[in-house]
Amino acid sequence: MSSQKIKRCLEIIPGALSWSSIAFLVILAILRPVSCAILIIIFDFYWIIRTVYLTTLLILAHRKLMKEKNKRWLSACQHLSPDKKWEEIYHLIIFPVYKEGLEILRPSLEALKKCRYPRENMVVVMAFEERFPKARENAQILEREFAGEFFEYLSTFHPDGLSNEKRIKGANATWAAKLARELLGRKNIPYDKVIISCFDADTCVEKEYFGCLSYHFLTSPKPHQSSYQPIPVYNNNIWYAPSFARIVEISASFCQMIESMRLEKFVTFSSHSMSFKTLVDIDYWPKNMISDDSVVYWKAFIFYNGDYRVIPLYTTVSMDIAYSSSFLKTILIQYKQKKRWAWGVENFPYVAIRFLHNRQIPFIIKIKRMFHLLESHVTWAVWAIIIVVIAPLPILLGGWFFRQMPIGYNLPLITGLLLNFTLVTSFIWIILSRLTLPPRPKDISWMKNVVMLLEWVIVPFIILILGSTPALDAQTQLMSGRELEFCTTEKMRKVV
Amino acid sequence: MSSEQRIRAALFYIALVTFLLGLPFILSSSLGYKFNRRTFQFTKTGLIAIKTQPQGADVYLDNRLLNDKTPTNINELLPGRYQIKLELKDHYTYARDVDVAQDKVTRLEKIILFPKRPDIKQLNKEKISFCWIDEDRNIVYYVNPEDNNIYKSDLNGEHFEKVANFIPLLPLVKKWKFSWDRNKLLYFNAHQIEVISLDKNNEEHGRDSAFILDYPLGSINEIFWHSDNYHLIVVADNRIDILEARPGSIPVTLVKLNKKNAYSFYDFRNDAVYFLDSQIASDGKAYDNLYKLDLFTKFYPLQEFIKLKSNELPKD
Repeated sequence: MSSQKIKRCLEIIPGALSWSSIAFLVILAILRPVSCAILIIIFDFYWIIRTVYLTTLLILAHRKLMKEKNKRWLSACQHLSPDKKWEEIYHLIIFPVYKEGLEILRPSLEALKKCRYPRENMVVVMAFEERFPKARENAQILEREFAGEFFEYLSTFHPDGLSNEKRIKGANATWAAKLARELLGRKNIPYDKVIISCFDADTCVEKEYFGCLSYHFLTSPKPHQSSYQPIPVYNNNIWYAPSFARIVEISASFCQMIESMRLEKFVTFSSHSMSFKTLVDIDYWPKNMISDDSVVYWKAFIFYNGDYRVIPLYTTVSMDIAYSSSFLKTILIQYKQKKRWAWGVENFPYVAIRFLHNRQIPFIIKIKRMFHLLESHVTWAVWAIIIVVIAPLPILLGGWFFRQMPIGYNLPLITGLLLNFTLVTSFIWIILSRLTLPPRPKDISWMKNVVMLLEWVIVPFIILILGSTPALDAQTQLMSGRELEFCTTEKMRKVV
Repeated sequence: MSSEQRIRAALFYIALVTFLLGLPFILSSSLGYKFNRRTFQFTKTGLIAIKTQPQGADVYLDNRLLNDKTPTNINELLPGRYQIKLELKDHYTYARDVDVAQDKVTRLEKIILFPKRPDIKQLNKEKISFCWIDEDRNIVYYVNPEDNNIYKSDLNGEHFEKVANFIPLLPLVKKWKFSWDRNKLLYFNAHQIEVISLDKNNEEHGRDSAFILDYPLGSINEIFWHSDNYHLIVVADNRIDILEARPGSIPVTLVKLNKKNAYSFYDFRNDAVYFLDSQIASDGKAYDNLYKLDLFTKFYPLQEFIKLKSNELPKD
């Protein structure tokens, strides 16, 4: 079978599994309601255990974040053994930019300036897309404001329509990284002393970010065989965003915190850092895949024959919550963003094909990682549909006979128990979300605190809309062989 | 391995063990199975679902008090007959035997627990022998046989007041009836009718507030107020008469009846009297028929009819 056909088969597998799971349960609910109810009860019980387990992980991760986020990491670097010289480390920071305006970009650069880390060790690259008409104008303005603030400041302009490229962030970042490599070469800075951080344009780093990153890089047994993942939070405009968008992004942030505790599954997401040497070795980011943030991890994982990991950094990088001027538009934007995240399912065929050709990675590791990848995406695409749509089906379709049976009576009770557990979990999430919230801006009424507590009641509604459908949509699109168009997420920023 | 990862690993295994150990119990319980310790076998069970109004009753199963209160389900019951007893303070105990079948839900979901001391309130403030309720006006009328007065109050017994007095009839009264406008009240025995005016304005016209009409023509079975609130339709054992509700009124016979104590009904909206009477047919046998006597006054004013009838019946 040709590699193209294998790829197509692998692209079909996640969507086929998700759809067949849903179809199987629906048909079972019609033909064999008791069997369907048994499966739903097993799933409900699994979900309850999983919810408790993951919430406990969230608490642990949160505890660690609170403990480490304000640690003086540069001082910790200074106290490392003499052979670990933090002063020799350079940070290459790339901001791929498309349509983001100065009101988005300036705070990101300001945040770099405020870092408790010598700016003489920072090389900042603003990677613009040439096709955006205002790119050069914005670049000039920023250069005037920030050029002298860092060791080097570079504006790059990614040409449109290069061969073997799609109009995606990875292509722009790669173009910028290659130009930065030339710059570093001219400055005689060795690549193995450079850590590259690729940040979304709206990313504002914590003051301790680079100290924390340097510390972990220097103390890692295999610094070049590691990516460094901070905790993404969406605090930039959290006080101004509508409830719906805020809840979704807080949940996304918490999910990432949970993932940071599951190291064997941990994959880079959004803004992250890694060794520049490794990035060059693996030939940079993918230029034709939307999920560049996770694919770059898999490229490194395969390059190092499975001996590659993601080290969680318990410090935050703050980004914008995606929302728009109206409720419906916000739902649409959130849906598109989640679909783009769920498009990470394209990693499955990518990784599977490379695993097939790689003989060095242990078979058991390959199986584990493929299973994790597949299971996480299939579960994402079906869990909310099973709980919200399929769980009531045996009762609705099973008729009087089914309802007279103990299982017919117990099914809604167990589903109700699951919802109660979700409520308890929500309380914990509410408390943790309050602890990670930035201070209330002066122009925001204190009543917003009350709104932010009450808004959690819309969680079931969010689950219904954004729980599984974006993932199922993405998998269906991948199944059909249609590519996802990359579109930047619209973000509204009121400068805080 | 960091301490978090060790905790996480422990949590994972705890979750896994909980899932693996808990699942068989949850599934068997959901499916209605119970481990029978006597036979060391899983036996299919049934359950009883109980809901009561009000909630919160203690549940006894075969005289054993359960922990849960209603609404509740008693799960994992081996097939058989059970005695269910529900107790709630200050309410009557509910008890019944229930048959539980395997793999079935026995529902006791329409149980009302009635209070032992219902909320009863005495409305009358005087001694009464009779009362009736005017639903349209939310008024209760009371008859006091000692002072021969009629009282009224609202439906809560408030605004209790005297509205009229009456002359006692002997022998005993058969029925009390209001006029349609509620301004007059009549009561009657077999040969006497007393009409009481409840409308104080009537006294301005010099009428008595209560007067008695003698009816010697037969034994009265029923009296209807005509829709004009002035005439009375008297159904006696041998005739149907009409008379004015005034002292000295003379009855006019509308129909002579063959059947004694016949059923009769007055349709207020259409001014018609329906009555049952028997008639001899050509075969010589008596048959009961239902008749309608139209008293529609728009086309044939009753007043004129009565005047005419008292002298001579009109010819066709």
